[in-house]
Amino acid sequence: MARWGMVIDLDKCTGCQECTIACKEENNIPHGSPEEQRRRQDPYWHKVIAASEGEYPTAHIEMVPMPCMHCDNPACQMVCPCKATYRRNDGIVMQNFRRCIGCKYCMVACPYGARAYNYKEQEDLPYDRIDPPLRRDLIGNWPFPHRAHGMVEKCTFCFHRIEKALMEGQQIGTEVVPACVEACPAHARTFGDLDDPDSEVAKLLSNRTSITLREAMGTKPKVHYLTK
Amino acid sequence: MELNFVSVEGNSKNYKIAVGVLGGLLLLGLICFGTSYAKGHYLFGSSNQIPWGMPIVLAIYFIGLSAGSLILSTLVYVFGQEKYKPIGRMAVLLAIALIFGALIAIAVDLGRPENFWRLFMFFYWNNMTSMFAINGILYGGYFVISIAYLGIILSGNKIWMKRWGCLAIGWAALVHMGTGAIFGFMAAREAWFTPIKPLEFLTAAVTSGVALLIVVLILTMKFTGRDLRKDMVTSLSRLLTIFICILALLIFLDKMTHLYAPERAAVLYSLTGHYAWIFWCLQIGLVVVLPLAILFNKKLRTIKWIFIASVSVVVGVFFERFFLVIPQAGFPQQYYPGHIEGVYGAVGQFAIMPVEMGMSLGIFTMVGLLFLLGLKFLKALPEKTAEELAAAAAKLAPPKTEEAVKTDIPPAGTAGTPPVENKPS
Repeated sequence: MARWGMVIDLDKCTGCQECTIACKEENNIPHGSPEEQRRRQDPYWHKVIAASEGEYPTAHIEMVPMPCMHCDNPACQMVCPCKATYRRNDGIVMQNFRRCIGCKYCMVACPYGARAYNYKEQEDLPYDRIDPPLRRDLIGNWPFPHRAHGMVEKCTFCFHRIEKALMEGQQIGTEVVPACVEACPAHARTFGDLDDPDSEVAKLLSNRTSITLREAMGTKPKVHYLTK
Repeated sequence: MELNFVSVEGNSKNYKIAVGVLGGLLLLGLICFGTSYAKGHYLFGSSNQIPWGMPIVLAIYFIGLSAGSLILSTLVYVFGQEKYKPIGRMAVLLAIALIFGALIAIAVDLGRPENFWRLFMFFYWNNMTSMFAINGILYGGYFVISIAYLGIILSGNKIWMKRWGCLAIGWAALVHMGTGAIFGFMAAREAWFTPIKPLEFLTAAVTSGVALLIVVLILTMKFTGRDLRKDMVTSLSRLLTIFICILALLIFLDKMTHLYAPERAAVLYSLTGHYAWIFWCLQIGLVVVLPLAILFNKKLRTIKWIFIASVSVVVGVFFERFFLVIPQAGFPQQYYPGHIEGVYGAVGQFAIMPVEMGMSLGIFTMVGLLFLLGLKFLKALPEKTAEELAAAAAKLAPPKTEEAVKTDIPPAGTAGTPPVENKPS
């Protein structure tokens, strides 16, 4: 079984936010008003943070794109009371909308702020996912295809693309990648199977120094960052 | 000491006005809840950074008060402290009303309240590693146990009172430690993450429980025209003093543990940042400083001052919960070394929203209403002694204005009925 992961090259990232926009488009994530932005009530599945270090002449800013880390040891899955958050066999951490009761405990537990709550009924189209389930052995429970307010949402590593590629026999990581990887103009992001030694991500991780965020939390993220 | 219990008749004007006002506010709360359910939680003050708002504050506050007052009632029924007997039944009644309020508060905070039942599908559809699911067992069990406990007390079976009281006291302690664990086990939230949290919650629960009991005792006795035994209030206030001291120690230890470790930014912020006044003035000031200043002063050992100290503790513990759930959650997480710019590194803001506040008010009034109805339909108040009756009759010449008390015939078929069923629907 594959273990999907992502490698982000911080040296190449320019912080253009194209990944955030591509994610919003692909997954039909509603767009918030400036008021909602200010109150932090608009959902984002992907964010780019800017971390600064030092004072003016020696100041330095690092742009860090942050999708869901799809941890091998997810804190959110541990605290979900209703099994709405689950880890698929291929390592993707998913949210089942049919089961989610909206208690927000996962948002409290996530050390990466990767989860967003849907604060209002959205006018947008239904959440774009292929229906019916393709590989039940792979994905387990099929998440509810329509979003409603009062549920917690999160990045899915564009699992619908992966499913489709598996069915049509396309190569994942080269031919088919998540929307954020596809959109990155600087080619800073790579997607693939972390367990496959021939995959691009495995090669990058063996050749370059890499870190994961907040390692002390023990969550074992599958999104790795190549340092400058 | 033989003591008979009676119910209030509930025909007086004051009682009817109180029930009417509380019912009206409950209706307001229901309307607010309906609005938030239809429109979404953007009507609340919570955000992706501060996920929990007022309903969760109320839930843990009520659970604390409930556990505290149930533990106190066992002083009478398990430990045989006969002097507290007049308030034993009231304490259990209060515990049931409060835990019901807490469960409702949790339910209305859920994004999909219609899925509330999913919290109670233990071991089948529940992920039992979640503190919420474990607390689901504790809360549900506690609700059942306390109702059965009230039934046993009303039936007057002494042996079972003691046995069931032992179960109730243990379970109530677990309930509140479990609630503390919801917060204390969250490694991602620096300010919450401490093993002392369950104990701190338990102590705060008992402290606020004693204080609330004093308040309710004084108010009920006053409004129903009964004589208050001063020795009872003073001995309860001594208990309160001890618990406040333990609570102060635990808060101090908690903050010191966080401040001593190099990773102290979150707690340092909560002690010196925007919302620090809530901690210093409302939490420490109202829970520790003011009550201890009153209770340690021998001159102020009157019912009036003890009442003020107890009200201060009850209000202060509410702000302790508020401070824990809202400002402490707002501190940004350190995703990456360095200073995080923009909204992701900014301290979260919590807006006071009318719908949320209306809903919280509704939950408050629901608890009050349940308690009032419980007093009417269950025999929870101690009977007036002959001297008290005579004194009251002498004071009020026309006896019709006086709150009538049934002393002879108990209302048939109401003993042991859980007060939940008395809720008007």
